[in-house]
Amino acid sequence: MMFFLEVTISGLMAGVMYSLVALGFVLIFKASGVFNFAQGVMALFAGLTLVGLMEKFGLPPWAGIMATIAVMILLAWLIEFLILRRLVNQEHIILFMATIGLAYVLEGLGDVMWGSDVKLLDIGLPQGAVDWLLDDYNLYVEKLEVAAAVTAVIMVIVLAIFFQKTRIGRALRAVADDHQAALSVGISLRTIWVIVWSVSGIVALVAGIMWGSKSGVQFSLSLIALKALPVLMLGGFTSIPGAIIGGLIIGMGEKWAEIYMGPIIGGAIENWFAYMLALVFLLFRPQGLFGEKIIERI
Amino acid sequence: MSPEPVQTRIFEEEILSVSDVSLSFGGVKAIQNVSFDIKRGEIRAIIGPNGAGKTSMLNVINGFYHPQEGLIRFKGKARRRMRPSIAAAQGIARTFQNVALFKGMSTLDNIMTGRLPRLEKGIFGEIVNVFLQAAYLGPARRSELEQRKYVEEIIDFLEIQHIRRTPVGRLPYGLQKRVELGRALAMEPELLLLDEPMAGMNLEEKEDMSRFIIDVNDQYGTTIALIEHDISVVMDLSDRIIVLDYGRKIADGTPGEVQSNQAVMDAYLGVPHE
Repeated sequence: MMFFLEVTISGLMAGVMYSLVALGFVLIFKASGVFNFAQGVMALFAGLTLVGLMEKFGLPPWAGIMATIAVMILLAWLIEFLILRRLVNQEHIILFMATIGLAYVLEGLGDVMWGSDVKLLDIGLPQGAVDWLLDDYNLYVEKLEVAAAVTAVIMVIVLAIFFQKTRIGRALRAVADDHQAALSVGISLRTIWVIVWSVSGIVALVAGIMWGSKSGVQFSLSLIALKALPVLMLGGFTSIPGAIIGGLIIGMGEKWAEIYMGPIIGGAIENWFAYMLALVFLLFRPQGLFGEKIIERI
Repeated sequence: MSPEPVQTRIFEEEILSVSDVSLSFGGVKAIQNVSFDIKRGEIRAIIGPNGAGKTSMLNVINGFYHPQEGLIRFKGKARRRMRPSIAAAQGIARTFQNVALFKGMSTLDNIMTGRLPRLEKGIFGEIVNVFLQAAYLGPARRSELEQRKYVEEIIDFLEIQHIRRTPVGRLPYGLQKRVELGRALAMEPELLLLDEPMAGMNLEEKEDMSRFIIDVNDQYGTTIALIEHDISVVMDLSDRIIVLDYGRKIADGTPGEVQSNQAVMDAYLGVPHE
């Protein structure tokens, strides 16, 4: 029983990590209908920049984070100015292709600026196991993962309030809902895009910090983006809570499958299980758990 | 609709002038050399058969389309390429032929979006604002409450208190049109463009909408340009009427003048072929 609990908890914690990446996708998809292939690389880029700034200039963690946020905002502005603005009114697939290009540019840029070796990221997040759980219940839970979970919860609450209660949140929802109508009430698409990309850049930074603290800032980080795909299929591309719940289900399902089915069919389940789950899900609920149902009149 | 004839009102100041505007999409000429003006405070109707270029004209005025030729002056200032967000900031609001509301949002939220441009601060000001608003603090919250008050007045004015919290996607068409009018009014426009405000409405809804249009014009002093197919409504409401046909202006004048115009009769009823 204790073992089952431990597997479940470690699955949920891994899921939180996926959710952090998936959140960034949802933000951009909601506001522009574009699947941002570069989201994973943005997390990597943010992580690299943070480590680089802290090492090069000996900044304390908080200053490094502030500086990185500034860099991410600048990046968002550049992306709008150099890419999005030129592709207004193009098909979504073209914008999607542009984000693939962006992914490679960012990866190269990070490499050129900060080098390609694995870097340790230590901003003073707690490490090791949560003692009392280990002592009293013999449960191994990493402090870092608890911190990630708490951060994710805070981020979702802040984003939810932001979207529901503030005028920029309202503008974001308006743009997501109907471009033309949004334009007619005077919302500037350019401003909205910069804001959305900035916010998702900051979300990417949080994801980069968590993954980086866990396993070092390295280029495989950008591959985590791919794991966010099944998370989004499950949760729905437009739902913030969906990204979280989807992440938890995928993380938990993966761990269960690995532990309980792994020995039967011979391991390595973690690599494909998430995609399998998402595929089955697509058959029954194509809009995802929390996605908006698409009803088209013919 | 009131049967008594509308008194002729006189307006002096020009708020919008369109001179020799032409717009084409590839080889299709949507608007050809059209000129007219709109005076501050009047209700101006644009009528014409389907495909006459009426909606295109509105799209030109609020910056969705960029005419290849011609000049548009708004409040005395000539403009070249116009973006819709700038047109909105200058005081032009509009509604759409096929209701373009934010379907997932409540009536209240929809109308609140009309208050957005009031606070434009440029991109970086907005980003600072994002942080303020994320924390839901201080000035951001105060202005939110002020905007809210204005919006509640509009909701009272349009008599839609009972659907304040309802997602607009669930409302009947007539009410959606009213919410859309509310959103445009929230922008405190100087020029309000209405694209077929009564399309698809029953008689009672049409009467309500006519009353709102007259009241808006009366109480807020808003200049209104409207496209409408229901001729009796147009004759009742408008001070002056422009008639378009195949992208050209064929008549322009008071309801009485337009009604007796031979070209208008031909356009609507067809000219007998030899």
